[in-house]
Formats: sequence, C-alpha cells, structure tokens
Amino acid sequence: MHIFPENISTYGQEIDNLFWLVLVFVVIALVISLFVLIYPLVNNHYTKVKKATYFTGENKKHFRWISIALVLLGMSDFVILLAEHNTWEEIENIPAKVDVRIGITGRQWNWIFTYPGPDGKLNTGDDLVVDEQNSELHVPVNKNIILELRSRDVLHSFFVVNTRLKQDVIPGRMNTRWFNLTKEGKYDISCAEICGVLHAKMRNFLVVESQDKYEQYLKTLYEKNTANP
Amino acid sequence: MEHHTHQLNFWQKYFFSTDHKTIGAQYTIVGLMMAAIGGFLAYVFRYNLAFPGENIPLYGSLSAQQYNSFITCHGMIMVFWVAMPILLAGFGNFLIPTMIGTDDMAFPVLNMMSFWIFLLSAIVLVASFFVPGGAFGGGWTMYPPLSANGYLNTEPDFLTAFFSGSSLMLVAVALEFIAMLMGGINFLVTTINKRAKGLTPFKMPLVIWFINLASVIFMFSVGPLVAGAVMLLFDITLGTGFYDPARGGDPILFQHLFWFFGHPEVYVLLLPSLGVLAEIIPVFARKPLFAYRTIIYLALFSAVISVVVWAHHQFIAGIDPRMATFFSIGTIIISIPFAGIFLSFMATLWGGSIRLAVPMMWALGFIALFLIGGLTGLFLGSNAFDIYAHDTYFVVAHFHYTLFPDIFFGFFAAFYYWFPKFTGKNLNETLGKVHFWLTFVFFNCTFFLLFFNGLGGQHRRINDYSAFSNVMQEPYILFEKISTISAILLILTQFIFLYNFFSSLAKGKKADKNLWSANTLEWIADSPPPHGNFKEFPVVYRGPYDYSLPGIEEDFIPQNVPVSEKEKLNRV
Repeated sequence: MHIFPENISTYGQEIDNLFWLVLVFVVIALVISLFVLIYPLVNNHYTKVKKATYFTGENKKHFRWISIALVLLGMSDFVILLAEHNTWEEIENIPAKVDVRIGITGRQWNWIFTYPGPDGKLNTGDDLVVDEQNSELHVPVNKNIILELRSRDVLHSFFVVNTRLKQDVIPGRMNTRWFNLTKEGKYDISCAEICGVLHAKMRNFLVVESQDKYEQYLKTLYEKNTANP
Repeated sequence: MEHHTHQLNFWQKYFFSTDHKTIGAQYTIVGLMMAAIGGFLAYVFRYNLAFPGENIPLYGSLSAQQYNSFITCHGMIMVFWVAMPILLAGFGNFLIPTMIGTDDMAFPVLNMMSFWIFLLSAIVLVASFFVPGGAFGGGWTMYPPLSANGYLNTEPDFLTAFFSGSSLMLVAVALEFIAMLMGGINFLVTTINKRAKGLTPFKMPLVIWFINLASVIFMFSVGPLVAGAVMLLFDITLGTGFYDPARGGDPILFQHLFWFFGHPEVYVLLLPSLGVLAEIIPVFARKPLFAYRTIIYLALFSAVISVVVWAHHQFIAGIDPRMATFFSIGTIIISIPFAGIFLSFMATLWGGSIRLAVPMMWALGFIALFLIGGLTGLFLGSNAFDIYAHDTYFVVAHFHYTLFPDIFFGFFAAFYYWFPKFTGKNLNETLGKVHFWLTFVFFNCTFFLLFFNGLGGQHRRINDYSAFSNVMQEPYILFEKISTISAILLILTQFIFLYNFFSSLAKGKKADKNLWSANTLEWIADSPPPHGNFKEFPVVYRGPYDYSLPGIEEDFIPQNVPVSEKEKLNRV
C-alpha cells in the first residue's frame, strides 16, 4: 500500500520527504514517551513498591530530565522548521521563468479555467474561458505553470492531490501559485474548503499533456468560442 | 457557620438552585445530553460515509445539506455545548468552592443565571435544526461569505435569512459566551476572595489554577470573536458588508478574529482536564505532583503565547509567507511548555506506588492518546507539509486525538474520581474498567486509520466521494467502514457508563468520606457535601500534594493538618 498518492509535481517529492523526516522524530518521541509512561506502571505497581519515594521535582537537579527532553524537543522542532523552510519558500515564491499563465476561479460549484487568447496574455478581452462542471484544465507537461487563483462567490480551495498543491481562493483577492508537472495523465481537481450544498460535486479534471496537444486544445477552444460567441 | 435551614421545595432544590453543586450537576447533565446529540450526529454522518446512499437506521436518508449541517453542528456542539459546560463550568462549579474550602461561589445568583442562559443557548442551537433549510452547514469555523449569505448554503428556495440556521447558530454561540463569561467572572472572584484561611496561591490544587487560567484565556480572547460574530450577524440579517469584498469588506478579517479566539480556546478546553490529571495522578501514585510550581509557570507562559499562534490555521489562506514563519515559530514554542506539563505528569509516576484504579486508568489513557494527538501536530506545524495535509482526514484524526481524550477521558477521569464524593455512592469498579477499555480500543479503531485516509488525500466535509478516484479505492473504503463500525461501538459503549451512573446512584454502596486517601479539602467534607459544604471553614497549613512524606506513618496528610515539628525535620 502506498501512503501517498502518485506525485506528479516537481516539488511534491519534497513534501512527501518532509513527512518521512517528521515521522522519524515522532516515532522516536512516541516510543520514548510511552516507555516513560508504561514502565513505572509495571515496575512501581503498589504490589511491588509499598511506599512511594518522596520527591517534589522542584529543584533543578530533579527537573533536569525534563529540561533535557524539552531542549531536545525544541531542537527537533527547529530542525523540522529548517528542513521545511526551503520547500515552503519554493512553493510560495513564483519562479522567474513563466511558461504558461492560467486563471482559475472557484464558483459554486465548479472551477472556471481561463486561458490566454491569441494575444498570449491573460486578463485581456480575448481570453478563453471554460466554465462547466466536470470540465478539464489542460496544461503542458514540464512547464512552469503560474496559476492566478480567484473566487467568484465564497471560499473554495484548489486542491489536486497528485500535485500536493492546495490553495484557498478568496473573493476579492488573487493568490498566485505555481506548479511544474512531470507526468502526462488525467487527475482529479477538488475543492478542499466547504463551499455549500454541492461542495462534494465540485470536481474537475487536470489534464497534463504534451506542448503540441496543449496548443491543439487551445486552438479547438478558440474555434469553438468564435463559432458560438 | 450558619446556613439557611429553611426547607427548599423541589423546584428550588433541583432547578432554580443557587448551590454550586446543583449548578455544576445541571451543567454536566446538559453537557452530556448535548454529547448524546453530537454523538448521534456523528453516527449519522459516519454511517453515510461508510455506506453511501443507504438508509441510515434510526434516521433515514441524509441529504448533502443535512450532511453539511450535521458535521458543522457536531463540531459546534462538542466544543461549545459539551466541552465548555462540562470541563469549564461543570468542573469549576463542583471543584472551586469545595477545593478552596468555602461554602459557595462569590455570586450564587449570577451562577444560576449563567446556567439558565447556557440552557437557552442550547435550546436555540437545537431549534436551528427545525427551521426551513435546517441548521447551519458551513463548517464550525463559520467562514464568510458562505455563512454571511445564509441562502447560498442551502437549497435555493430558502431565503428567510433572519431565522436561518446561520443566524440562529450565531445567537446560540453569543448566548453561550455570555453564560461562560458569567461563570468565568464568578470563578475568578471566588478563587481570589473566598479561599480558606492559609490557602495561599501556591498551596492551591493545580486544577483550581488551571480552571482559573482557562477562564482568563477565555475572557481575554473571546472579545474579538464576539465582535466578529456580531458583524457576521449584521451581514446576514441587515445586509451589511463587513466580509463582502464587493462592498469594501474582507472575508479574511473574520478568519483572524475567529482564530484569535479559536486557538486559545484549545487551551481553554485543555487546561481544566490537565488540572484533573494533576489531582488524580499524585493520589494514585501516592507521590507529590512532580514540579508543581514549575508547571504553574509553564502554564502561565503558554497562556501568554497562546494568543499569538492563531494564524497557523490560515497557512493556505494566502497569508504573507513571512507572517507564516512567525506563527510557525510561535506554534513550536507553545508546544514546549505543554510537553513540559505532560512530562511532569509522567515523571510523577516514577518512584511511585501505583494503584490502577478506574480514575487513574482514564488519566493514563488520556496521556497515551494525547501523545499521539500532540505529536501528529508536528506534521501540521511544518507549514510546507500542511499545504498538503490541511483540510484532509489527517487533520480530522489529529484533532480528535487531542480533543477526544481531553473532553471525554478528562471528564470520565474526573467523574470516576469525584462521583463518590458528590453523590455519597460508590460506582461499580468492574463496569468502570470495562467502560475504559472498550472506549480506549474503539476510539483508536475509529480514528487511527483516518490518518492514512488523510495522507491518501481524502479531503474532508464531503458527503459523497464517488467523484474522487483517489478516495474510491482500497484500502480507504475499508478504513471508512472500520472507522464507522468502531464509532458505533464507541457510542454503544457509553451505555455501560449510563447504566453504572444510574444503578450506582440508586443502589451503590455508601462511599467513604475520603475513599482515595487524598489531601485536598473536598475530601474533608461529608459525602455528599451538604448545602454550605463544610461544618466549619477549614484552615489550610500545607500544599495539596504531601503524599508519602518520609518518617510519617500515613502516606497522605490532608491540607488542613498542621505541620508537625517531626515533619519539618524530615522534609527535604
């Protein structure tokens, strides 16, 4: 059994690795803690130890074991923070090289995809808009894809399990995120923030394909739009 | 000490009573009734998740709208109408006057009012299930704009926003906060002014410290949320636009106001239960609580930090990445004092003479489960991983591993420990142990597998996963079924508790005055303590945890026993 679903983004593996790193700390801490908890229950059961040893733990000498444990905990916390910081920065900061810019807008209850029109620029009059339930978001493989994330009504959250990317969309502001996808295929897009009665039906598809096919798709879309304005 | 000896009639004695014990019992019983409702809601939506589309026994079929209402109200009820009344108001009312050696609260009438307003709030909440469109279903965090536009949340034909589920929910929450504020003021004033002679702050039992600290955190943090909730109510009913960007508002504002309260609230819920552990563990280890003073300092420190970690709930809401780093560091820092408190409890066990009586089993079970809950928080605290795990079942499993032990193991530990004191009757110990083990096992079976569902990418608050291929595969479908069946068994197990409660109340053996051989002041009162609690006000000479002092015959010395010369010599 795989713990994580298949990863298709360039930074997804780092997020998965982060999990395994933290898991190492967690398992060590859990094993030690459970030992500290359970050992005296067996060893100091009243049938074995008739009278308890009196100590209050108020002086530093008594408290040193806990101090050591807390320092170790604090240190592992900061190791985790350092380890995850680069991944966080990588995901949060938009790369300088922009290959494709796509607008994604949440609405009740589907995702709207906006591609640049023939002028190659997003947010102009000739943008190509797909606003349908179960529609597909087409992106080229191995390109830096910048997503402009907006909402038309309530909070939603753009989530593609296989890319590991999740981003809330908020009415009145735009969040920019990016990914670079390494594997062609068709994946689910969901909404991860409760958005009303059909929240569960808010599912679209992400189609990762070659640059040729992507351009072909845009062309078909353009022709469809001009045929039925 | 004079007390009113005139006869109280039935209503005065059990309903409109100003006696703190009656009010504590009222709070606890209403809290447990609400827990039954919250548990039933959980049963219904868990059944729907494991067996989608099937007829749910005792309920029928569940629509998407009802599913959303049920998950929302399950969370709301468990936090505000179960944890708050039982852990804060229930424990506070029972324990504060008896453990500080006084007759009643400082403001008994205010105390009674607090309960009745609380009851009203619970009635408003339950009533919201029966308005057109049903109870509010936008998630317990009530994020606008979904919550601000009551109708968006429901079927399109429902537009009566004034009596919508969302505005009733807000009214209920507001009433609940008024009740808890009245209680909190009462707790503080009582503790500050009515302590027994000689009971200096550093001789107070830790549970009294922690209940008061929880009240202070609550009162400090609740203001912004009340303001936020009023603005939200105006957005719903009057059509203002505080959270509507089209009219200059901002939905993120509500998130900040909510979590400024919402995160400290976690510690409001946690501290009273930790206090209960601090009373129970030394008694059953026959040893002083390890590092009593240090624990108090750690708790005071964490209370301060608790109000500067809120935004870690908003990492993926698009907050400034530099701000995220600040809140990550805060989150890490606050984990340290709480780890210190738990480690001190565990250190108390070392060198003890341990009796595994029923209250102790609940206390230890609490620690074991909370370890998992706390440590899985490390995954979510690392914000890059949180991008993936946020709003998945990983988060659901994580907070149930913290809140379930906190609320229910904390309550049951206290219940099995103090029931004989406040009723004068002993509980059935075998049934208590069976109740503990079944609850412990079924709780783990319910929630542990959900960690894997979350890592597999199962996002939460979805009534029907049929559209999502990553969830609709084994082993996740199987895990859903195991979780649901265990949840049902977990709920059924609680009937053992109910049976034990009622049968012991009716025909339990008479309990000894100090059956656990404990030091704190409630144990020198009669069982049950009469109106006014003590025949004469006790005088306190020592701290609450003098167990197994060297050179002393008995392994406990109640707080009202003067310090002898011999003992002074033996003390380290």
